[in-house]
Amino acid sequence: MPPQRRPAATAELSTLSPLGLTPARAVWIALLVLVALVAIPIALRNQPYFLNVLTNACALAFISLGVWVTFSIGRINIAQGAFAMIGGYTTAILSTRYGLSFWLCLPLSALLAAGIGALIGWPILRLRGVYFAMITLSLTEAVRLAFLNGGEFTQGATGIVNIPRPAGIDDAVAFYLLAVVLLLLGLLAVWRLSTSRIGWVFRSLRLNEELASSIGIDIAKYRVIAFAFSCAVGGAGGAFFAAFLQNIYPASYSVVDSINFMLYCFLGGLEFVLGPVVGAFLLVIGFEVLQGLQEYQSLMYGILMIAVILWLPNGILSLKLRSREASAVDPDVEPVAAPSDTAAGRTGG
Amino acid sequence: MSIRTRNIRSFAPTIAAAVLATASLPGPAGAQDVLKIGVLGVMSGPAASWGLVNKYCAEATAQMFNDQGGVDIGGEKYKIEIVSIDDKNDPKLAVSGAERLTQQEGIHYIIGPNVDTTAASVVPVVEKNGAINIPYAFSKQLYSPPRENSILGMIASYQAGPIIYKYLMDEKDVKSVAFLARNESDPLNQRDEGVAAAKELGLEIISSEDTYEPGTTDFFPVMSKVVSGNPDLIVLSGVAPSDAPLLIRTARELGYAGLLSTETAQDAKILSEVAGDTANGFISVGGASTPEIRSDYMEQFVKRYDQVAGEWNDEAGTKVYALEIILATLQKAGKEAIDDVDKFKAAIPDFSMKNPFLKKEQSLNYVGDKYFGQQRQIGVPMVVNEFQGGEFKTLFVGNVE
Amino acid sequence: MEQVLINGVVLSANYALIALGITLIFGILGILNFAHGQMFMIGGFMVYYVYAVFGLPYLLALATAAVVVGLIGVGFEVLFFRRVLRIAKREENSMLLAVGTALLLENIALFAFGEKQRGVPPLVGGVFRIGDAFLPTGRLLVVVLAIVLIAALLLFVQYTKPGRAMRALAQDREATLLMGVNVDRISALGFGIGAMLAGLAGGLLITISAVNAGIGTVTSIKAFIMIMVGGAGVVAGAILGAIVLGFAEAIGYALIPGSMTYLLIFVGLILFLIIRPQGIMGKPWG
Repeated sequence: MPPQRRPAATAELSTLSPLGLTPARAVWIALLVLVALVAIPIALRNQPYFLNVLTNACALAFISLGVWVTFSIGRINIAQGAFAMIGGYTTAILSTRYGLSFWLCLPLSALLAAGIGALIGWPILRLRGVYFAMITLSLTEAVRLAFLNGGEFTQGATGIVNIPRPAGIDDAVAFYLLAVVLLLLGLLAVWRLSTSRIGWVFRSLRLNEELASSIGIDIAKYRVIAFAFSCAVGGAGGAFFAAFLQNIYPASYSVVDSINFMLYCFLGGLEFVLGPVVGAFLLVIGFEVLQGLQEYQSLMYGILMIAVILWLPNGILSLKLRSREASAVDPDVEPVAAPSDTAAGRTGG
Repeated sequence: MSIRTRNIRSFAPTIAAAVLATASLPGPAGAQDVLKIGVLGVMSGPAASWGLVNKYCAEATAQMFNDQGGVDIGGEKYKIEIVSIDDKNDPKLAVSGAERLTQQEGIHYIIGPNVDTTAASVVPVVEKNGAINIPYAFSKQLYSPPRENSILGMIASYQAGPIIYKYLMDEKDVKSVAFLARNESDPLNQRDEGVAAAKELGLEIISSEDTYEPGTTDFFPVMSKVVSGNPDLIVLSGVAPSDAPLLIRTARELGYAGLLSTETAQDAKILSEVAGDTANGFISVGGASTPEIRSDYMEQFVKRYDQVAGEWNDEAGTKVYALEIILATLQKAGKEAIDDVDKFKAAIPDFSMKNPFLKKEQSLNYVGDKYFGQQRQIGVPMVVNEFQGGEFKTLFVGNVE
Repeated sequence: MEQVLINGVVLSANYALIALGITLIFGILGILNFAHGQMFMIGGFMVYYVYAVFGLPYLLALATAAVVVGLIGVGFEVLFFRRVLRIAKREENSMLLAVGTALLLENIALFAFGEKQRGVPPLVGGVFRIGDAFLPTGRLLVVVLAIVLIAALLLFVQYTKPGRAMRALAQDREATLLMGVNVDRISALGFGIGAMLAGLAGGLLITISAVNAGIGTVTSIKAFIMIMVGGAGVVAGAILGAIVLGFAEAIGYALIPGSMTYLLIFVGLILFLIIRPQGIMGKPWG
């Protein structure tokens, strides 16, 4: 068959498609990023309270991205609070006791959390389902107790306070921008991960680990990679909060926080990279708006969880978007069109 | 897409808008000025009573003033509105709560938080937004220079401890003491202060490292250890009112015949419910709530508190002072102090009023020079109680300074 | 020394009731009942109101606790879990639903019961001395009642028709379906009984400790530890797990400062699960 001249549209597609984007989607994303980085800080520059709410939402969404990645290999991770704690204390100790700059502490916290995650993850990732969930739950509690009993090193129940702010970041706008940048970087990393070959390996692990192993995939290695990535993100997020709130205590992250990170992913939709972001923003901002009902906040959280699971089990984003995965590999969904022209069907590099 | 899912999607923003709209509705025409006071504390979970009592006390006091048309400051009557936020003992939530109160609600006077960690975390927010808060946490750093925006709302354990121990040494022949602390920042500090005070007085310390996790409901194992040392006095450091009755009962069940004391406020009702007669002789610190020293005003307050909260809680005996003294100081400092806390601070040093809750004439001022180097504590009278036959009886009334 | 042993026995008997309930639900439905601790708490409050506030006989109070909490369990299964188990593609859904139910119960309890800690006077007075150790009669009574209830449960599961059906469901769901067992009914009954056990445990324990609306989470975590150690879904495993935790606590508190005990318990748990993930008696997970 004679080679056909590629129309201009497909030429554009070939630059965006490695990222799994259509031109329409790319424009949307660029617009959102612009709003987040420029419009919001300008509009809210005199409302530090609202900016802090958004900062909080961004940072929580960032940490939840890690939990999302562990969901993508089919594990329920209730330990993210522990790694946020590890990252936070690392930054706290390094910056208060050794005067290290935050910009150094941040990657170090992420690395340490990833390292510990890899170490612990190697043996425990053999477990699945409820068992893995329960062992990660125990991990959150164990880490909390460890920091509580850390004696001189961690200052026990008193925690570490007066953590210095990062150089150059000293008002609400600056922290907000830092949080947004972190979130965008995290999203980029997770998106890249999920559209790359590693992402497909993760997916195969989630769907059928034995099968993946039988075709030669080193499942132990990939599981640890996913978990270590998740812990790194948790550690980085913890480091951010330590500098943002300027304190950290063993009480800072508990089982409830680990569960919340899970909830954000779930609310947004586990099939979508943006799921945790949507979930975190909806819940954090939603409860700011509903502050008048503050007394009932926890109650509504519980009702919300149940309602979502009963009626929106695939998350909020599933209402509008068809997930890439649903159209590509999910056996319950009819394959749509032949994956030729739609970028959604094309895998990345 | 089904009708149902469409409804869910349009539901949330509509609800949010409705709530926002009602929240921003102006009051009735010709409304008088409103004075907003914030309450920030732990209102859920095992320590819920600490923050809730703060809230109920503030609401009861506010209602009593509003019934008279409001509080008169600088010739104008202000209706008092209480805005409460639950920080769940979480420093992150305490910070966001404080920000909300100071920035969104424009509040400059906040009652709370309840523990060291949350109180420390809100210091930057309070200072940055020009507010004053009344924590119920004992850490000295909160009230000593360079900090000057926090005022301790009650008697600190390290103030009550030495006085109680001395009394027991003199009156009840106590020579040895053991400490049992709740494993949290505040109680551990209290325990350390208590140990230091006991050493200074020459008491023998039998044991001081025993702790129990918050949330423990079975104290048999840990209490066995403490009792086995056979001390004359067991000090329960920083125990929550919910733990005390069981701790006491367990000690007695283990055959302990010595004295038990604590330096925090307790609740007579749950003491008698859970511990019954085993709690007789238990020593604690109260504020103004023992019946024989109460004034009529206090009786009215108790009734009003009962209406607001559903039942009286003896913890309120110490927490009743916060809003009263804020309002009285504002009256002295003038109405600019409502927005300018520097004027409030200026009015502190020679502020004095008659203590409205005690039957006998006693003045209420700001104290704390000895401990903090500045007057950053409400001079709540130190009433040391002994539990007898279902209620607290005053052992003696002491003074912080 | 004797005191530690006695403490261990008392704790283990108490904990066994809690563990049995959650393991029953897990065995039959594959759901980890996050709300177990909250059900325990509600059981305690039921006894508080019926026995201490209304002054009715204790056994009636205990029965009320059992019935109320049991009905909550049945309600959860019928209204929530049944539907989710049917339509969910991912198993996380049922777990998150369980977390949601826990939050729901905890907050409803906070509204209904208030924030105060409640206890009841001991059922019987007096203390036994065993060597150097003390055993209050009230605690002995709780141990005896707990053992009676455990025995009753074991007999039920072993010899009654619904009990056998539950065991069958736990062993092999498909085969049980093929046998014509009304799975829906048995599931609801199973959840109800599991919840009831938690409620009974709460009702018993309030006579020697206390309840407040916030103890749910701590109790649930203890339940998880027990079934993870003993083996989830296996009745003997639950009892074993309770014994291990009960004695670990008793010994730990006697020898080392409070919170270190639980840190060591958790570290030990994690190491143990790495070596033997299915617990002492659990079925190898799949």
